[in-house]
Amino acid sequence: MSEDKDKVEGYRQQSGKLPFPRPGSGGSRGTSDLRDEEAIAGIKGLGEHKHDDLVTGSAVGKPTALVDGRWKVTGQAQYGDDVRLPGELIGRIVRSKHHYARVLSIDVSAALELPGVVAVATGRDASGSFGVLPVTKDEHAMAQEKVRHVGDPVACVAAIDESTAREAVRLIEVEYEELEALHDMRGGLEDSDEPIHDRGQYHIGSSNVQKRVFQEFGDIKGMADNAVASHSSSWKFAGANHGFTEPHAVVANWDPSGRLTLYTPQQVPHYVHRALADVLDVPMHQINVHRTFVGGGFGGKSDPFPHEMCAAILSRKTGRPVRINFDREEVFWVNRGRHPSRIDMNLHADSEGRLCGIETDALIDGGAFASFGHVTTYYNGVLHTAPYEIGAFHYTGARVWTNKPASGAMRGHGAVNSRCAFEVGMDGIAEQLRVDPITLRLANLLPPHSATITGFRVTSIGMRECLERVREASGWDEKFRKLPYGHGIGVGCGFFISGSGLPIHWEPNKFPHATVHLKVDMDGGVTVHTGAAEIGQGSDTVVAQSVAEVLGLPLDMIRIRSRETDTAPVDLGSYSSRVTFMNANAAISAAMEIRQELLDAAAEMTEAPNDRLVIGDRRIYMRDDPKIGVSYLEALHKAQEDKGALVSSGAYRTPPMGRVHKGAGAGIAPAYSFSAYVAEVKVDVETGQTKVLKVWAAHDCGKALNPLSVKGQIIGSCHMGLGQVLSEEMKYGRNGHLINPDLLDYKIPTIHEMPEVVPIIVESNDSEGPFGAKEAGEGPLLPILPAVCNAVYDAIGIRTSELPITPDRVHRMIEDRCKKEEMDPLDLDSPVLRHSELQATLEARASEHAERDFLRASDPDLPDYNNGALFGFNPEIPADEQDERWVVSVTPDSDYMESPRLAGSAWKHAERRHGGGS
Amino acid sequence: MVQFRLPMLPAAGEVPWSAVVNDEEVSLSIESNAILLDVLRDQAGSLGTKRGCDMGTCGCCSVLIDGVPRLSCLTLAQEGSGCSITTVEGLADGHHLHPIQQTFTECGGSQCGFCTPGFLVVISALLEDNPTPDDAEIKAAIEGNLCRCTGYQQIVDSVRAASNILTSGEAIEDSTAAKSDPDPGYVAD
Repeated sequence: MSEDKDKVEGYRQQSGKLPFPRPGSGGSRGTSDLRDEEAIAGIKGLGEHKHDDLVTGSAVGKPTALVDGRWKVTGQAQYGDDVRLPGELIGRIVRSKHHYARVLSIDVSAALELPGVVAVATGRDASGSFGVLPVTKDEHAMAQEKVRHVGDPVACVAAIDESTAREAVRLIEVEYEELEALHDMRGGLEDSDEPIHDRGQYHIGSSNVQKRVFQEFGDIKGMADNAVASHSSSWKFAGANHGFTEPHAVVANWDPSGRLTLYTPQQVPHYVHRALADVLDVPMHQINVHRTFVGGGFGGKSDPFPHEMCAAILSRKTGRPVRINFDREEVFWVNRGRHPSRIDMNLHADSEGRLCGIETDALIDGGAFASFGHVTTYYNGVLHTAPYEIGAFHYTGARVWTNKPASGAMRGHGAVNSRCAFEVGMDGIAEQLRVDPITLRLANLLPPHSATITGFRVTSIGMRECLERVREASGWDEKFRKLPYGHGIGVGCGFFISGSGLPIHWEPNKFPHATVHLKVDMDGGVTVHTGAAEIGQGSDTVVAQSVAEVLGLPLDMIRIRSRETDTAPVDLGSYSSRVTFMNANAAISAAMEIRQELLDAAAEMTEAPNDRLVIGDRRIYMRDDPKIGVSYLEALHKAQEDKGALVSSGAYRTPPMGRVHKGAGAGIAPAYSFSAYVAEVKVDVETGQTKVLKVWAAHDCGKALNPLSVKGQIIGSCHMGLGQVLSEEMKYGRNGHLINPDLLDYKIPTIHEMPEVVPIIVESNDSEGPFGAKEAGEGPLLPILPAVCNAVYDAIGIRTSELPITPDRVHRMIEDRCKKEEMDPLDLDSPVLRHSELQATLEARASEHAERDFLRASDPDLPDYNNGALFGFNPEIPADEQDERWVVSVTPDSDYMESPRLAGSAWKHAERRHGGGS
Repeated sequence: MVQFRLPMLPAAGEVPWSAVVNDEEVSLSIESNAILLDVLRDQAGSLGTKRGCDMGTCGCCSVLIDGVPRLSCLTLAQEGSGCSITTVEGLADGHHLHPIQQTFTECGGSQCGFCTPGFLVVISALLEDNPTPDDAEIKAAIEGNLCRCTGYQQIVDSVRAASNILTSGEAIEDSTAAKSDPDPGYVAD
């Protein structure tokens, strides 16, 4: 991309009348018809796209400053704790000091006598349960009967100031009967006298298994038989917290008309809206959820939270606004971070270097509540069935409740840990086959417009270009297995959903996932009403860009109203990387309606035929005679005659996709993103310190609508992933206490730990994405973990299977290796690679596939391609319909249950409704 | 009213406090043990100064006291008494942003924006001191600030761009200047 195109063209518009040398000045091209590849900023990718006719490049494809950036840099942006209403009270929450206990009594009398205390609430004030998933509503505003982790809310107080509120919390006496706490996730698989939750007839035995998944696809029996190389690993991943800088905060206010406004930094206002209605027992239309600026979310602000309920309850009791602001410690207690996990994985490759089998067993520690757990349990498996073609996939996953702060959704939800194990396994397989790991990957990729082994419909795939570009940029061929001891390079790939195909509230309905309303009044400015939650990722900006692009307007004429559920149409929120894909698509369809009205008006005024008119920069004119035309404002005023403001509504719903087995909906997405990273590291053999020197990060986001934001997301994802691989860990002491609930001991990388990241944007032009775009918010996190682990192996010949790789762990692994090989640390050698004959075979296959992929990406009329073709099956029919050895099964048989793996042993219990437990 | 306190804290008496906050004389009555961050946010109206960790680890609460970056969450308000205090609200000149504010929006230095005020005041002090910092100096200046969104790279880009503006003397636009005209007129080739 040239210097000139990299220039930011955000809100810096010049004022006054502009002389136009030719119609339109918005982009590098004047008109909005006829596609001119050269002129459209950065448009790439193959094949036709349904929005191609709209793109002038005047608003999308250019680095664009965030439309709300100026509020942030001036300190004017209001975050949760910055909402100050007259007469506000300060709320504080009384939290459990036990891991697991029955609440016998709560004595609030002393607190109520304290001058300045206005109200106290306990679980009796709100008994309704809630949870982000309708099938697992296992949370309450405050403890009903039991507390399930240290920090679980028991009661709350509202007082005139913070010190009074804190003192009142101290005065509330809670009598507990301690119960035996469960800290080790493995214990959750066993029967318990007192399971942490009771799911009634759906409870799995008497265990603490919250969710279990069993999946068998493909030639399960054959995978080990056909294998010439197998890599087994047994991973332990520590829990990680989002570490957003803004602690949770909320303000609740019941106004004189009896309606509640909840000001909260939420990623998903809609689910809070639903949960509040349930818990407060009022209809949804009586509640306005006002999303404040969000000081970082990353998945950690996407559940409805107890403190939000508490603020609403206290405000209802007192008749005054109540503000609750968290200490950092409370943020860690609420958590919803990455699951601590134990993942065992076996990868098998056959003599032709094909992946003939993946066996994954993932036990994940859910902590005290279900949160998004159903989904996480699936994602740990199904999200590593691509981008490679595989012969068999065997997955057992289980999520257990323990008495820890709840795990939940965190950037790269459910996919990060198993992807790390998988990509490290690929490195191990390449080593056993004596082939280059990048070549191995290139020779096993699924083509564009294909179906994975579990039936995901994959549209565009930029994986091949990602790998090729990082290989070239990093100088891979000169470095891999050739750097001196202690210095290494490694590769990792990623695959992630671009929006979840199945909405969380999946009762059969035809509600759209995203809706955008537009209003254009006589001033000419366009007001966009959307419920997409701007959490810093730039969703307001991307929606504004989309509308501006379709209407041929400068960005400063678009204003976004995305804050309040009162005015915004329902949107499912900022999670699962869905916002750009779904909201921009909805915005485009809303803008198309307005566009048509403007064209009709212009046609009437100019008497030019409607289909010969085009929209340029604030002008509508005849394609072949630009002199004939009207300005945007003239056309708008004509269109408004006898009618008033132009309004329109656009919506997006995913197309029907996927197969029909139980759990088939998990991981289904309208498009998927792909990424490949190469990391270069230095490991100090004496201290065990790993320093990441440089990262080449290629990500296929379909089309970068705002390259500035895409790069920001890539680099930011690297930062967060590096934290998890190098230093971040929620540490629990011997008694199960979280010992580092603060930002000093929970080690987020500072600028000194950050390597230079070279973001490489790959554009595969997705056929269904808005202007070809897919996601860029979560996928870029996945590859960094395995890339670093593989680079560490290249550097010192040690394969880690525990994260984070803190210096003490690396040092211990070096010591172990020295002991085993009876060597001095300074005499150790890094691994070497002498290519086997397979290397040439794989290279030939990779280049053959490159051709195949090119054709498939550019041809609009494709025959189907199902996973399995690489193994000799007819690509147009799923392999399991061609060969009975290929199975599709989602329940274990008795053979498997004779020697189940760790998470697989969750199936030894029967659900109560099927006669299990008591 | 009787003041109730956590047992370890002594009851605080009120003391007069005055300082120049963002070029404006502010006189308040504060609790003698009040933390500067609380006084700035709750009494002096600087809600732009953010509370991230309360223990000096995140840098979100950074302010300048007599031009020197300080963590307001670890500073007793009384230490700032009689001083000149600059918060993020004091960086812009009316509607003309400080160069670092301008470049933060343009170069992606700010995503969620919560850590931004802390970074901005620290960087403004750096640029005041040294308008052309090199990479090591930039890193040293912001090593006490955590950012979870950007991975710092675009923050460093922003500092370099601001340094260019400062050395070139480029004017910063007034954000209230007229924006795009919806009826721009048409001039043929």
